[in-house]
Amino acid sequence: MDFSWLSDPFYLSYLWEGFVNTLWLLLVSAVGGLLLAVLVALARLRGPRPLAWLVWAFTTVMRGTPLLVQLFFFYYGVGRLMEGVPGIQETFMWPLLRDPFFFAALTFILSVGAYSGEVIRGAMKSVPRGEREAGRAFGLSGFQVLTRLWLPRAIQLCLPTLTGEMILLLKSIPLVSTIALMDLLQAANIIRDETFLVYEPLLLIAGIYLATTVVLTVVLRFVELNFPGMQPTQRRWLPIR
Amino acid sequence: MTSSLQHAFRSHSSTAPAVVATQLIKHFGELEVLKGISLEVPEGTVTSIIGASGSGKSTLLRCMNLLERPDRGELAIADEAIRFDRNPQGDIIGLDRRQLQRLRAKVTMVFQQFNLWPHLTVLGNVIEAPMRVKKLSRKQATALGEHYLERVGMADRRDAYPAFLSGGQQQRVAIARALAMEPRLLLFDEPTSALDPERVNEVLGVIRGLADEGRTMLLVTHEMHFAREVSDQLVYLDQGHIACSGTPKDVFEDPRCRQFMAPAA
Repeated sequence: MDFSWLSDPFYLSYLWEGFVNTLWLLLVSAVGGLLLAVLVALARLRGPRPLAWLVWAFTTVMRGTPLLVQLFFFYYGVGRLMEGVPGIQETFMWPLLRDPFFFAALTFILSVGAYSGEVIRGAMKSVPRGEREAGRAFGLSGFQVLTRLWLPRAIQLCLPTLTGEMILLLKSIPLVSTIALMDLLQAANIIRDETFLVYEPLLLIAGIYLATTVVLTVVLRFVELNFPGMQPTQRRWLPIR
Repeated sequence: MTSSLQHAFRSHSSTAPAVVATQLIKHFGELEVLKGISLEVPEGTVTSIIGASGSGKSTLLRCMNLLERPDRGELAIADEAIRFDRNPQGDIIGLDRRQLQRLRAKVTMVFQQFNLWPHLTVLGNVIEAPMRVKKLSRKQATALGEHYLERVGMADRRDAYPAFLSGGQQQRVAIARALAMEPRLLLFDEPTSALDPERVNEVLGVIRGLADEGRTMLLVTHEMHFAREVSDQLVYLDQGHIACSGTPKDVFEDPRCRQFMAPAA
């Protein structure tokens, strides 16, 4: 095992950039994706029929095609297509439309929106009807029932599943190394190409992913345990019996 | 207050009825659940709706705050007629949502399954609607909430979550939640039917206390003896019709009514 390359500041800066990009992508995709997921769930449960159908088609396509294919589709397909739009190169949008980060984030947001949208839809359906009914019976508006009563309860119910979705998202991010975005895998590939060491860089980034996953799990478990109204029997740090 | 004083108080405070329903008809698909029910709950009185399962009691009660929308008929809550949208045949097809929300703040409900909000504390449950619907400040709502939690004997559990309470305690919190809106009319939908037998009395005790205060209440119950004790008016529902109604004395002494109630009583 040869880790002497770790003392090279160039490699360290690649790794750092890759790590920061990975975390940014995770954050942006998680926040944007979960917001989209709520809209997806709502459209399917409460939207007008044509919208519900459209959203159903969207989730089916996003869940039915490989993430890598989607990434290529948006970056090479849509990205190149936009290039041909006359005048677009002069707009403020142009730098964004050339940025692999933008297309990576877009792809992941849509993907999380589709997968987590179904999770949230299921959770919303399993909130007892009477809780919403009580809200309506006391004069709360539909929007208040949704934001104060229905969604908080639904998210409480599906938080463990959403934690899983976020971990899956983290480990989908290396796919972006294929569209020339500097992430951890890209950094490892560069190090491999220049030092002819295959395992050491991979082992290092595997360790970084594992550590990030552990931190993510602990943070989300903390949120879960501190969710208002938890029953005492469920208050166990490790979800193991 | 002695009971004669209360009766004096009640009869004086009787102004316009808290709710007036006229010829309510409600279908669930092919099934006609309410077949033209007219009902009036005078201010300061207690009315109980009794009857067998499936007679339409709960549906009738749920029409009073429009959790169920009747298909035909008229409804006035707190002197205000509900503005229904109707098709040319007179069938109700919609209503004014703003008016509905405003009136629902005046008619609150206690449910069979309590329906507390599990992610809010006891106090949080009680102050939610006063804050969001009546737009009280948190301070005002909390003062109100504490007062009514005291009233139902749950003030010491104000920071607990519903999952940590017994059924009887949850139902008492639900009653405090309904009281905190200071409604013109309180609706009770079989408030003791989901309770263990030993918990029933603590809830009935609270409701009896409210009746003695002269609160206007409409309740659906299977507790015949309780209904007879606390009610000013009894309504016996049979297959979507009012089979008999009147004071408890009238209803229980009328041979025809007794015949109806025989299987239930």
